[in-house]
Amino acid sequence: MFYDLIIIGGGPAGITTGIYAARKKLNTLLITKEFGGQVSKGHEITNYPGITMTMGVELMEKFVEHLKKFDIEIKEGKNVRELNKTNKGFEVILEDREKLESKTIIIASGKNPRPLKVPGEERLVGKGVTYCSICDAPLFKEKDVAVIGGGNSGLDTALDLTKYANKIYVIEFMDKLLGDESTQEKLKASGKVELITNAATKEIKGDKLLESLVYEDKKSGEMKELKVQGVFVEIGYVPSSGFIKDLVEFNKVGEIIINPKDNSTKTPGVFAAGDVTDIFYKQIVIAAAEGAKAALSTYEYLTKIK
Amino acid sequence: MIKIYSTPACPYCVTLKTFLKEHNIEFEDIDVSADAKALDEMVKKSGQMGVPVTDIDGEIVVGFDKNKISRLLNISE
Repeated sequence: MFYDLIIIGGGPAGITTGIYAARKKLNTLLITKEFGGQVSKGHEITNYPGITMTMGVELMEKFVEHLKKFDIEIKEGKNVRELNKTNKGFEVILEDREKLESKTIIIASGKNPRPLKVPGEERLVGKGVTYCSICDAPLFKEKDVAVIGGGNSGLDTALDLTKYANKIYVIEFMDKLLGDESTQEKLKASGKVELITNAATKEIKGDKLLESLVYEDKKSGEMKELKVQGVFVEIGYVPSSGFIKDLVEFNKVGEIIINPKDNSTKTPGVFAAGDVTDIFYKQIVIAAAEGAKAALSTYEYLTKIK
Repeated sequence: MIKIYSTPACPYCVTLKTFLKEHNIEFEDIDVSADAKALDEMVKKSGQMGVPVTDIDGEIVVGFDKNKISRLLNISE
């Protein structure tokens, strides 16, 4: 099969791209590790027009249901390993070595949680270290946990954890928390939360399961160890663009540089949309709209090369 | 016998359960946020402190590992 279009990504940008491409009758394949992207792992959504209040996972279920109404091929549960240019168009190689070919590509692979990059972290993922608080917070009933990151997502995670955990440490690298004051007040009122600023996480320890976290008190230079069974990493996101290499240009933070008018990249036939790009404001409604733009631009491009 | 250890709001759990339902595969869904004994059982079986965990006739699958689950259940797409 030689597709008109391969879409990489199944968040708001990728799904909307799929809907628009299918309506234009493009022979399309959508590849995604999982549908929903960051939105599925988020909490309440209250700024998507037409939907007053919903949970991220519910909104994304509706997106997927809409997509599946159309004639579009989907490969779910697949990671992309490589993207290459060929004589005829492009080839996408999956992690299981399957090779797929198309005339055009839309990259909508979004962002992944930023890891701490400290010893022990990778080994203890799923054994106490987690990047999906909405998934795993209920597992830590009456346990002691640490949340790394004092921004809004860190504080929301800590607040969610007050329903379950016994004690919650919020660890912030800077000298103050950046998350909303109102959430900070709620955390203080819970009586379960200890806020620790000026703290650089250095190591996560544990044998079979996580046992403790070591941080440096940046003021005193002293190393301190907290006995915890869970570590929730909430220090932001990085673009999932490792498979792309030199077909596109990246900005300093690894986002794909696009022409904001039509979502094109430096390689004709390769478009990009959503949070993986350098577009301002990472919002669901913006990612969806960017996906629509990318699909329409791709359609134009395919009409021209015929 | 298929058991899925899950939590209510976890997107991977939802995806996994939808996938099995689409292939008409029956399973027992265990909400470990409401059942401390089941949570212990999950951690002992899998060594994992994360959901979902699937037990397919004693074979433990961690996360929504579509390839492994498909292989164990002879699902072809």
